Amino acid sequence: MKIFAVGNSFFGDDGVGAAVLERIRREDVFPGADLIDVHTDALALLDHLSRGEMNVVVDAAEMGLEPGAAIGFRPSEVRLKINSDHLSMHGFGLAEAFDLAAQLDRMPDDVLIVGVEPERVQINQGLSAVVSDAVPRVISIIQAEVQSNG
Amino acid sequence: MSSVTSAESGTNLDIKVKHLTRVEGHGNIVVNMKEGVLEKAQLEIVEAPRYFEAMLKGRSFHEAAIITSRICGICSLGHQITSLKATEQALGLEVSEQTVLLRKLLIHGATLQSNILHAYFLAAPDFLKVGSVFPLVGTHPEVVVRALRMKRLANDIGDVVSGRAVHPITPVPGGFTRIPTAGELKELKRRLEEDMYPDLLATVETLKALAGAIPRFERETEYISLRSDDDYALYDGDICSTDTGRVPDSEYLKMTNEFVVPHSTSKHAKVGRSSYMVGALARWNNNHDRLCELAHTAAGALGLKPGCCNPYMNTIAQVVEAAHCAIDSIAIIDQLLDAGLKDEKPNQEPTVYGTGVGATEVPRGILYHEYTYDRAGRITAANCIIPTGQNLANVDDDMKKLVPEIIDKSKEEITLHLEMLVRAYDPCISCSVHMLDVDFIE
Repeated sequence: MKIFAVGNSFFGDDGVGAAVLERIRREDVFPGADLIDVHTDALALLDHLSRGEMNVVVDAAEMGLEPGAAIGFRPSEVRLKINSDHLSMHGFGLAEAFDLAAQLDRMPDDVLIVGVEPERVQINQGLSAVVSDAVPRVISIIQAEVQSNG
Repeated sequence: MSSVTSAESGTNLDIKVKHLTRVEGHGNIVVNMKEGVLEKAQLEIVEAPRYFEAMLKGRSFHEAAIITSRICGICSLGHQITSLKATEQALGLEVSEQTVLLRKLLIHGATLQSNILHAYFLAAPDFLKVGSVFPLVGTHPEVVVRALRMKRLANDIGDVVSGRAVHPITPVPGGFTRIPTAGELKELKRRLEEDMYPDLLATVETLKALAGAIPRFERETEYISLRSDDDYALYDGDICSTDTGRVPDSEYLKMTNEFVVPHSTSKHAKVGRSSYMVGALARWNNNHDRLCELAHTAAGALGLKPGCCNPYMNTIAQVVEAAHCAIDSIAIIDQLLDAGLKDEKPNQEPTVYGTGVGATEVPRGILYHEYTYDRAGRITAANCIIPTGQNLANVDDDMKKLVPEIIDKSKEEITLHLEMLVRAYDPCISCSVHMLDVDFIE
């Protein structure tokens, strides 16, 4: 299994993926899993997504839910908005990386995205309390997925 | 705002291109011409202030580079190296030759990655008039795969030398906490020779086929970059202007002169003229004599000449530079291996507590950090001047000359020319926050 974090841990709740990976590492929740923090370089997922095993991606996501809400979903269940501004590389995020992966036939069958609705995304701040509280729930979602895969 | 009369009087033009750039900020192109008189041609930048000084004040010298490397996900390494240099100068921390070589290797990797991504993912779609990189996957999959392969190798240089590609962790004040092994460096060298070299040749061929789409626009410009007697200056050197020559980096304030304009939350900068340009084209114009042979071959094939003052050629200068970074990386690895890798510990014993300036060429141009430390090794004052801010006034000046020259074209073509101009500067408008935007399918 590979578990990825995407996001900038220096921008408040955008760091939720990194916080989840840190907790998994500290408590050794998934022994043997590859824990990969691609930070803001979502395109790096293209180098790491792998077929024949489970790929979990944890990211802050604007889903129109209450801040702190955490949901696991398949890429096929959602429409990920391509937001690239096309003025700079800064717009390349997870949606763009998945689009490229699919077009290049590099998208594994088994991908779970765990999105966490952020409360605040501002520079020089840590996680908000509600998103910090969501970290164990994210881990439970991944554990349930692992169990259901048997 | 100065007014420019168009060649064809009586023309009216009103362009407003709004670009959403995720959560943090955005840039808009605004052009307005009334009865042949250009009233407005500017790049409007709206982004949250960074409060750079507030972020660093009171922090210890161990923390400064960690914090600043996270300001921007794309320019992380540049901020980190520049921060380390400022801290080391302020505290009198000497670094070894091995440290300098490893840092140069890191900068090569970061520049290679950034330049390649810009050329393939932002500029090439413009040249092919396809809007974005996504249609290219269907029509030119091998080109996209090549770009991703080159990016990965450039990333791996960062991973091997610094631990992690985007937020490097082993470079610290005074040196590195971990030195790569000879085996790791040899493997990088092998991949640079066997994979990157042919990919660079193919990149030049690809761009050669597209170079005809580069707009022929010229404006005499002041170009500012670092300049060194020893090499193609990226890690350090004097500040060099095509107008006024060289000054030491301690005089950076004289070479930036930031000022505030109403249409941008980012400060603009100027020296002798109303604007200047930094970045790959500035580095080419100042330092082309320091480039390796492959870079010169690429420049020849792509029509890049010394003294070039076409800002659209910045993309070509980036590709030329990418060739240099790859070849020079091999040379640096050879130097490190020949000298034998030493398991050095970072030198973290301050000899003075004062003010230090770091100036580094990052992909988009010169980046400056300046810190003042108290006797407890904590920051009391900090300043940061980023390349994109330095280029903003120059983009506006380019637009003012460009719009009247292309006023006979359709509004769509004029808009595309203006967007391509902004993209050629490879701007770093807002710090990246890569949140997903999700709609659940009902």
